[in-house]
Amino acid sequence: MNAVDTGWFRTLARLGVIAAVLAGWQLLSVAGVLDSSSFPSMTATMAELGRQLTDSDLWLAVWETVRGWGLGLLIGCSLAITIGTLLGLNRFAYLSVIPVIEFLKTVPVIAILPLAIVVWGATLEMKVFLVAFGVFWPLAIQTIYGVRAVDPVVRDTAAVLRLRGFRKFTTVTLPSAAPFIATGLRVAAAVGLILTIIAELVGGARGLGLSILTSVNAGPDRLPATYAFILLTGVTGVLVTTAFVALEQRLLHWHESQRNLAAKAA
Amino acid sequence: MTTPPRFEAPSLARPEPTGSADVPSTSDPVVAAGTTPSQQFTARSPRRRGGPLQRLKGLWRLWFFALVLVLWWVLSADSTSTFFPPLQNIVQRLWETWVVGEARSDLYSSLRHFAIGYTIAGVLGVAIGALLWKFQRVGHAVSPVLYFVYVIPTAALLPAIVAIMGIGSPMKITIVVLAAVWPTMLNTLDGMRGIDPIKLDTAKVLHMSPLTTVRSVVLPGAMPQIMAGLRHSLSIAVIMMVVSELIASTEGIGFFILEAQQRFAITTMWTGIIVLALVGSALTFLFIAVERVVLGWYIGARAVEQKG
Amino acid sequence: MSHAVPTPAGTPAQPGTGEGPVLSVSALRKAYNVGKPSERLAISDVSFDVAKGEFVCVVGPSGAGKTTLLRCLSGLLHPTTGEVRFEGTPLQAVPDRLSVVFQDYSRSLFPWLTVSKNVAVPLKVAGVAKEQREARISEVLHAVGLGDVGKSYPWQLSGGMQQRVAIARALAHQPDMLLMDEPFASVDAQTRFDLEDLILQVRAQFGITVVLVTHDIDEAVYLADRVVVLSSPPSVVEEIVTVPLARPRDQLVTRSSETFGQLRRHLMELVTAHH
Ligand SMILES: Nc1ncnc2c1ncn2[C@@H]1O[C@H](COP(=O)(O)OP(=O)(O)OP(=O)(O)O)[C@@H](O)[C@H]1O
Ligand SMILES: [Mg+2]
Repeated sequence: MNAVDTGWFRTLARLGVIAAVLAGWQLLSVAGVLDSSSFPSMTATMAELGRQLTDSDLWLAVWETVRGWGLGLLIGCSLAITIGTLLGLNRFAYLSVIPVIEFLKTVPVIAILPLAIVVWGATLEMKVFLVAFGVFWPLAIQTIYGVRAVDPVVRDTAAVLRLRGFRKFTTVTLPSAAPFIATGLRVAAAVGLILTIIAELVGGARGLGLSILTSVNAGPDRLPATYAFILLTGVTGVLVTTAFVALEQRLLHWHESQRNLAAKAA
Repeated sequence: MTTPPRFEAPSLARPEPTGSADVPSTSDPVVAAGTTPSQQFTARSPRRRGGPLQRLKGLWRLWFFALVLVLWWVLSADSTSTFFPPLQNIVQRLWETWVVGEARSDLYSSLRHFAIGYTIAGVLGVAIGALLWKFQRVGHAVSPVLYFVYVIPTAALLPAIVAIMGIGSPMKITIVVLAAVWPTMLNTLDGMRGIDPIKLDTAKVLHMSPLTTVRSVVLPGAMPQIMAGLRHSLSIAVIMMVVSELIASTEGIGFFILEAQQRFAITTMWTGIIVLALVGSALTFLFIAVERVVLGWYIGARAVEQKG
Repeated sequence: MSHAVPTPAGTPAQPGTGEGPVLSVSALRKAYNVGKPSERLAISDVSFDVAKGEFVCVVGPSGAGKTTLLRCLSGLLHPTTGEVRFEGTPLQAVPDRLSVVFQDYSRSLFPWLTVSKNVAVPLKVAGVAKEQREARISEVLHAVGLGDVGKSYPWQLSGGMQQRVAIARALAHQPDMLLMDEPFASVDAQTRFDLEDLILQVRAQFGITVVLVTHDIDEAVYLADRVVVLSSPPSVVEEIVTVPLARPRDQLVTRSSETFGQLRRHLMELVTAHH
């Protein structure tokens, strides 16, 4: 253990790197390496971000994005968990349906976007559909495998304790599947956000994606705004991911992976 | 030496409970998110060695798949809906445009950009991941920045990149690389972190050269997870390939679909969607085939472990 | 300690079997993967009875089919041919008044439930009211020598403590019969002695019939009234040895007695002879 490995030094090093990246950005702009007509300076972007943050239009865009993402996630995930559970409980159903789901999972979700745009146009429904469709397949698969992955010893124990029906489901099946579902949910949240942005960019539905596009199209003057929006999208991503990781830690504190993490942190 | 600091970013590259129902392990350190299918196929393959007859027995499982296709065909046969034309028409048009017709050039264009972008992303991802592993402290210091760039949905960068690079091939390849590099990088880093320290010590004791160590200890040890990362990168690369064509392009499958949609040629649009779906699955299955060869030793070891 | 709750031993439902055996195994045969190329006969022909309140140990070489036998006795596995009767009726599923303790305690306890909640599971299944449940849980936890670990999670406890929790859970709904599969195989020697005495004590206290599988001959002799010796697979009953050692038994006194030494030697010969 030397000074380089202390917590303080590490935090400082991280802050240093962040500062260096921002400073480097500014320097490249000032030195003219980054063409200001396509890549605004850091200070201009930050100033614009600050100005935008007081603008209600921005918050409206954030709200639209979050709404589309949240609704899509809610619908897609509820369906995936319900259907995945039902399929997972029955061996015949599971074996029959798995090839279809595995196939559909390999299909790029984006293929369905043009169809959604034709059917719904640049609307919230279009976004919600795309997100729900995109998160459904991977999460359904995770749920099916989770429900089927009950440890054989746990299964025997449940039989010996005469756990049956609904009680068996809540006491044994669901907790066993929970780590799988949590992983699926965490991935679904990230994928859902990406799909929301894509739907806004391509389909023209209102939200952060559309704001980015319109500010780019508005010409070089609006470029700082573009980057401000991009930064904001990143922040949204960080918040979403952090929230889901925190939720997972809370609900699955008993699971090995979380215990290991806790042990490492200690 | 202290334990390597954790790279806090990769919520993706943590021991993930994914897997197939045939594999009772609930936390498999090797599997990263979004890797279920290959996992499933690889994990099951040792059991399938029951000869061709045994394999044929599993075919009944496809009945539902067949039923879905038949239902689509039958139910859409008299369809007058603008959005859902009869499957028969779609298949006919598919033949005319993609097999006989001109649209093949769009397919080649897409595949070219994908191949270049994916290869660069894969090489970069493994290289950067390995460097971050080698220089732990640097890796630790840059992790917040990497994490932030990783979390920004790459699609959000697209308009800016188009503004900078125009709408040619470089732009598309850049987009694919920027999006697809992360899963490979994070999984490489995590896979190398997971290598048994005793193996590395053994390499030192045996006076292996750094190159030999990498070739015979580090790469094989991290390979399962690197492959998992590459697979995730693959699906992202396909998506970004299409998105770049949807937003700014004059060629490619995405452009084909978009153009058909704008002309309101719905049947033609459907053919594009189906081709895209087939391309996505074909690439995935190709990857799984490669993975089986690369990870042959690993699958074998796992089968033994599960029997023991 | 147990007088708070009426013991079920007083109200047995044994249709038509006045003094008949609680458990009777006749001509049991079990093959795995029947009809496949990997077909394998684990148990060839095993018969024995277990009387009410008796302590029977099953020993045999590794792979003899002890676990297979125990799973057949508990109703988790159906014999290929032959029959297992519990309280006179042929086994279909796991019967109500029977409990099993698995060897792999760390996997058998539910990691997502606290110790109390784990122990509460069989009580909930039996429909015991909440207040009685609480009382019953603390009672069995005390009976196995665990004080106030109720709020901990199983994985926060040591191996020996986890096994005690598993035993407590098996005893919670006051079974007539307890089946155990190498329950002390993965704990250290001292804990093992403690747990052995614990089992003898709770058996005396609750009046339970016990069948315990082990590969440790000393343990079998120390615990059992009778020892069923299995041959190497496909297994048959080599011999059923009666253990005439006095009760209560004591680790030091009993193990150093002459009878113990003779029985031990005899069993050793049986187990190693045909291997
Ligand atoms: N599920 C199974 N499928 C196929 N064969 C099995 C299965 N379980 C056990 N066997 C086989 O049956 C035989 C008996 O196994 P069993 O586990 O009952 O032995 P055991 O006496 O408990 O061994 P040990 O002392 O090692 O615990 C072994 O040869 C084993 O390979
Ligand atoms: Mg056994």
